[in-house]
Amino acid sequence: MTTTIMRTTARVVVPIVLVLAISLFVQGHNLPGGGFIGGVLTVTAFTLVYVAYDLDYVEVGVLGRDVDDDVGMLDHRTVTTYRRMFTFGLLVVVASGLAAIVPGAQFLAQTYTYVHLPLFGEVELASAIIFDLGVYCVVVGGLLTIFSVVGNE
Amino acid sequence: MTALLALAPLVVALVASVLTLAVRSWPRFQRAVSVVSALVYVVSVGALAWTVVFAPDASALVYQVGGWKAPFGITLVADALAAFMLAVSAVVVLFTVVFSVPYIDPENQQVYYHPLFHFLVAGMTGAFLTGDLFNLFVWFEVMLMTSYVFVAFYGGARHTAAAVRYVVLNIVGGALMLLAIGGLYATVGTLNMADMAARLGAPGVDAAPVVGLTALLLAAFALKAGLVPFQFWVPSAYRAAPLPIAAVFAGASKKVGVYAIIRLYFTVLGDANVTTEVPLVGVDSPLAFLAPVLLVMGLVSIVVGGVGAVSRKRLDGLLAYSSIGQIGFIVVPIAIAAGTSSASLRHLGVLAGLVYALHHALAKSLLFLAAGTIRDAAGTTRLAELSGLGERSQVFSVTVLVGSLSLVGIPPLAGFFGKFLVFTTAADQFATARVAGSSIVLGVLLLGAVLTIIYATRVWVGSFWGAQSDRVELATLDGLQVAILVGLAAVVVAVGLGFEPVYQFADAAAEAAIDTEGYVTAVGPGGEP
Amino acid sequence: MTLAIALTVGALFTMGTFLLLRDDLVRVVWGVAIISQAANVYLIAMGGIEEGTFDLVPILAGHGHDAGGVETADPLVQALVLTAIVISFGMTAFALVLSYRAYEENGTMNVTEWAGGDQ
Repeated sequence: MTTTIMRTTARVVVPIVLVLAISLFVQGHNLPGGGFIGGVLTVTAFTLVYVAYDLDYVEVGVLGRDVDDDVGMLDHRTVTTYRRMFTFGLLVVVASGLAAIVPGAQFLAQTYTYVHLPLFGEVELASAIIFDLGVYCVVVGGLLTIFSVVGNE
Repeated sequence: MTALLALAPLVVALVASVLTLAVRSWPRFQRAVSVVSALVYVVSVGALAWTVVFAPDASALVYQVGGWKAPFGITLVADALAAFMLAVSAVVVLFTVVFSVPYIDPENQQVYYHPLFHFLVAGMTGAFLTGDLFNLFVWFEVMLMTSYVFVAFYGGARHTAAAVRYVVLNIVGGALMLLAIGGLYATVGTLNMADMAARLGAPGVDAAPVVGLTALLLAAFALKAGLVPFQFWVPSAYRAAPLPIAAVFAGASKKVGVYAIIRLYFTVLGDANVTTEVPLVGVDSPLAFLAPVLLVMGLVSIVVGGVGAVSRKRLDGLLAYSSIGQIGFIVVPIAIAAGTSSASLRHLGVLAGLVYALHHALAKSLLFLAAGTIRDAAGTTRLAELSGLGERSQVFSVTVLVGSLSLVGIPPLAGFFGKFLVFTTAADQFATARVAGSSIVLGVLLLGAVLTIIYATRVWVGSFWGAQSDRVELATLDGLQVAILVGLAAVVVAVGLGFEPVYQFADAAAEAAIDTEGYVTAVGPGGEP
Repeated sequence: MTLAIALTVGALFTMGTFLLLRDDLVRVVWGVAIISQAANVYLIAMGGIEEGTFDLVPILAGHGHDAGGVETADPLVQALVLTAIVISFGMTAFALVLSYRAYEENGTMNVTEWAGGDQ
């Protein structure tokens, strides 16, 4: 699949997809979007990179590290990172739910506030975005682990 | 603050799942976290049960997740029924998690066994606690998702084949459940169970469309409970899963299906009436529809499970079929309770079902764990290759004997009270309505009891009596595993000897199950959002 | 509109059931995926589709604020479907990975040639 057309398309499309993913993620608390769909789009971008180049491209080409070929796919350094991300996401989800209990609110209760920023003006800060961040990490970590391991076989 | 108790078991299970995943690089620590979490889970369920049932000012606890009031948000309702089912599962969960530590090989434990185990527990807990029909679907899926992984746990041709069958069957079951929920929302206009009960129980409301939709739900729940004709997945899935997980499946997660049937039909639809003439069926309430269907399912399950268990060649296969039959024993009194118009018999029927569920959870998980010990020691569960285990270890034999005798129903073990109440229900039904149907019910129950005796004897004679076979002679039973089994056997004996508080608990649970009004008042839907 | 949705749901269930009953595992997984989607479409329809409201998604009508008296479609079914989609997405992904594994272990995609379950 590593044809020139594929590579050129990937170069153009991946940044667009990533920006779209981030915008969907950020607006998710009161507009269509959110952690899940943002995460899935991010995964799409990464998958495109994997298809156009290969699994080690992120390690070698972007981060400039060496890849240890001897270990199994599950212990591949990139995959380990994905799995950590998955765990981290779960931790964030549960912690954000529990955090609401401390001030006496209900489990998973959310709130929001407005802050005034220079240039941006009125910006809404919603606590739901922390929960969304957890979901995002779970989706990205989980799906990329699956894709890397299954894709490798 | 006490309302937080309703949330506690769920949070404990979720946190346990995440923590065990986070500390997986330190296997010993991970196992410790897992066991401690199970202990905390038991404590939180105990505290919940105390507040809901035994405390002087006991009442159902209601928790509105996210601060959204019923019927708009998701409500957690911990009434006596939910507390009873939670308590039953908590005992099974504690013993299986402790048993898993010496049983499952360390490498597999480290990968994802413990996180998934607690996720499974979270799924069960959520299903027991939720007061919202769609949320029930979500918890069912949580439970299923983890059980898929466990069925495919060991890999290999047979196991993955079993897992694929299990997955496909359950996804279709999930779609059915979704259809039913959508239909119920369109006809009733709410998915909050208390709100639904209040709307359907209002005078002059005709529940005719609900009968068909809930029949779809009944199919999904029966699939979960493994009732005939939805029992096909049970033997292969139980044999494919690790044996401690099979113990949880048989002991606790099957009971979720039974619980859902009780909750839906008795609590939510208990007051509903059908006024229009339903073609071909001709019933005057959803409960009257449930009664014959569930009765036939239960009776056929007893026969299929019993005959299947008698003819199995392996211990785990035998236990899997036996659990199909025992689920039949649980639902038959519930079906009788659904069919009767007498309030006391209805109470007795549900009570009998619950007590039997408790007994089956304890005895069957004990036997499944014992099968695990045998497989671990002798390398096989084929009955023909096992003999003379009695001579090999007397302590182990006694624990298995306790489990088998409880399954058969010998006093003073827990099983006696289960069987006794089931037969009392059937006999009461026979006394009030002396028709051929009632005598058939009694006859099938007796046949089921005899079949239970036969297969329990087969296990005993086959694997414990006689001279030691080659495999048994070489086997070394793991001391820690046997000690855990002794603990569980002690619980079986203790429940039988100290039956009074257990009865009180089950009595309160049965009362809560049929008390639609109390459930609606506790949740209090219809307030401002 | 209601008729169109009813026909769509019917067609999806027909296709799903047909595929589910084939002996090729890939088709079975397709069937399962289609049946879950059919259930989702059905669920959306259960919110009640009225002329003039069905194309107004609540969250878009109000753009994150009060919808201001505009008639919108039922938001609850949309929330339910969103959940159901995520669940069926996960299930289908798992079913695909599992069928790949089952194919490797059994050496064939034909489910009738697989190892027996019980005994």
